[in-house]
Amino acid sequence: MTKPRIGIIPGDPGGIGPELIAKLLSQPETAEKADILLIGDAHLFALGQEQAGADFEMRTCNPLDGDWTEGDGIAHYPRETIAPDAITHAEVSLANGTSALENLNTALQLAQDGIIDAITFGPFNKAALIEAGLGHEDELHYMAEFLGVEGYISELNTLDGIWTSRVSSHIALSEVPDYVNEERITKAVHLIDNVLKRSGLSRPRLSVAALNPHAGDNGNFGTEEIDVIQPTVDKLRKGQVNVDGPWPSDTVFLKAKAGDVDGIITMYHDQGQIALKLMGFDRGVTVQGGIPFPVTTPAHGTAFDISGTGKADVKAMQAAFSIACNMVSNWQAS
Amino acid sequence: MSEPVLHQQPFTNIQTLKPLILTPGDPAGIGPEISLRAWLAGSHNIVLQGDISYFREIADKAKLAINFAEYDAQSFAGNRDTNCHVLHTPWPVPPKLGTPDAANAGQIITAIEQGVAGVKKGQFSALVTNPIAKDSLYQVGFAYPGHTEFLAHLDGHGKRPVMMLANAELRVIPLTVHIPLSEVESSIEDADLSETLLIIGDGLKRYFGLARPHIAVAGLNPHAGEAGYLGRFEVDKLAPFLADFTLEDVQISGPYSADSLFHKEARDTYDAVLCMYHDQALIPVKTVDFFNSVNVTLGLDFIRTSPDHGTAFDRAARLNARPDSLIAAIKLAENMALNAHGN
Repeated sequence: MTKPRIGIIPGDPGGIGPELIAKLLSQPETAEKADILLIGDAHLFALGQEQAGADFEMRTCNPLDGDWTEGDGIAHYPRETIAPDAITHAEVSLANGTSALENLNTALQLAQDGIIDAITFGPFNKAALIEAGLGHEDELHYMAEFLGVEGYISELNTLDGIWTSRVSSHIALSEVPDYVNEERITKAVHLIDNVLKRSGLSRPRLSVAALNPHAGDNGNFGTEEIDVIQPTVDKLRKGQVNVDGPWPSDTVFLKAKAGDVDGIITMYHDQGQIALKLMGFDRGVTVQGGIPFPVTTPAHGTAFDISGTGKADVKAMQAAFSIACNMVSNWQAS
Repeated sequence: MSEPVLHQQPFTNIQTLKPLILTPGDPAGIGPEISLRAWLAGSHNIVLQGDISYFREIADKAKLAINFAEYDAQSFAGNRDTNCHVLHTPWPVPPKLGTPDAANAGQIITAIEQGVAGVKKGQFSALVTNPIAKDSLYQVGFAYPGHTEFLAHLDGHGKRPVMMLANAELRVIPLTVHIPLSEVESSIEDADLSETLLIIGDGLKRYFGLARPHIAVAGLNPHAGEAGYLGRFEVDKLAPFLADFTLEDVQISGPYSADSLFHKEARDTYDAVLCMYHDQALIPVKTVDFFNSVNVTLGLDFIRTSPDHGTAFDRAARLNARPDSLIAAIKLAENMALNAHGN
């Protein structure tokens, strides 16, 4: 059986990404799960090993020139995106953002060309990416444009088998009600349904969260549940989607915690992220939903407060890598 | 959350703490049953309001071995008492589990009024309320959005009641409560923030034994607005307000990204979180400990706690309700009374 081919990029050079990669790759079982292609500056991967106090071997290759998986060990595609002395440690900078974005571009192109199957990336710093010309509210929207994706996209978050998708994401809370419409809810439900099916669940059990407190309390605290969410859920059920709701958002996660639900469709960013990060701050993974191949990353950020100290916890990065491997193995055409 | 310093009272002093008064809530719900289960579980320093024959009936049906007595302040022996004391007030019509009757609505309200009066007079050390169903109370002209607002009205000093949800892991206060999400941002005024923070600070000092409590303030928008990229509320309003606002012997910090505020390591850094909206507070507190969360009202002249669930009419007739949240509410009210007593 061929192994999944996973491209790994460092993310923001001033954050904990390089250190996490060193910690991940220094564990022998990592390379057993996949053929790994590191994409980025050689000195960034050396920096990570120094920060982590953990070593791994890599061999240089050019993936555009023949089958890069031939050969032993971890492959490295050297890039030059930043000079070693231009890295700003634990600080937002144009140079850091540019490096992160250039390595992302390379990885996206390799995946689009079928040279790698999936991407796992170290944490990005959004402000640095925006300075470097991201031009979108987040990296997901940037990737979608880069790849010409026209369908619905949503960050999916996952922890210990619980998945969430969102009807709205990186927008002000006051704008959220404008996003709560039949089209977006339907697409968010189909997206998580498809990703879970393609990841090996034959009939994912899905629940939709309400927008308002107490799911609107029969219209006393808001009418979106009655006017929009309930009719949309009913329509989806008639379309044979295994979904229910809307459920009050302060109890819907208890269903997932109890193992009764695989995926929860949330109306806004913090509705899902508060619960998931509470349950497993150190293990949560973000999957870029709607992209034509698996792209995963730890749910946490660059952790500038501890970057360079060697204290970064590798569990979420490990989980991100494992989920990418599993998704490639189970990936079925949608 | 740092360890609250409970003012250690000698055991005898606990006996002198006046009993807690438990309102019946809606007698067709699980209130009477969980009150009896709480008593059986060892919470004896409580007085149950309601109809003594109805309590006997519930105890019989649920097979709870309890001796009842009509409450008498002279003979009441607090936690050592072997009888369950009932402040007897008959129901106008016999309650039927699972089927609320508007004919009893007036008495449900009267019981709350009597409970508050008793606590205000010092006959009881705290008020613990069982769940009510607003729909049947509305039929008899009850004009308050809920328990909390009604209690503030009975308290009668015009301060805002502040709802806090608390368990052993976390204390949260939603600044806005029962309003549509679309109205949250526009309804937040500086005066609400300052009054609420003042009441939380006072409450944590007076009732939770914290000499210098730390209140963390959550942002409204994702990533607390990410420097204005994801909403301007933090940059334009909340951060400037917090920069200028100080309270004596209270540490206030924020605004923090709400999704990074509730895991264990974060919880260890503060005593309570002021949240901007209902679910921002309720999601974490229920996710961290669903069964033992307690609703506390701060800002009143007396101590009030209640279980964090409703009447559960649909399950009341089964008589297998879990009393965990009510027991937690009784214990917390008792601790709050001891701390206030010690101060």
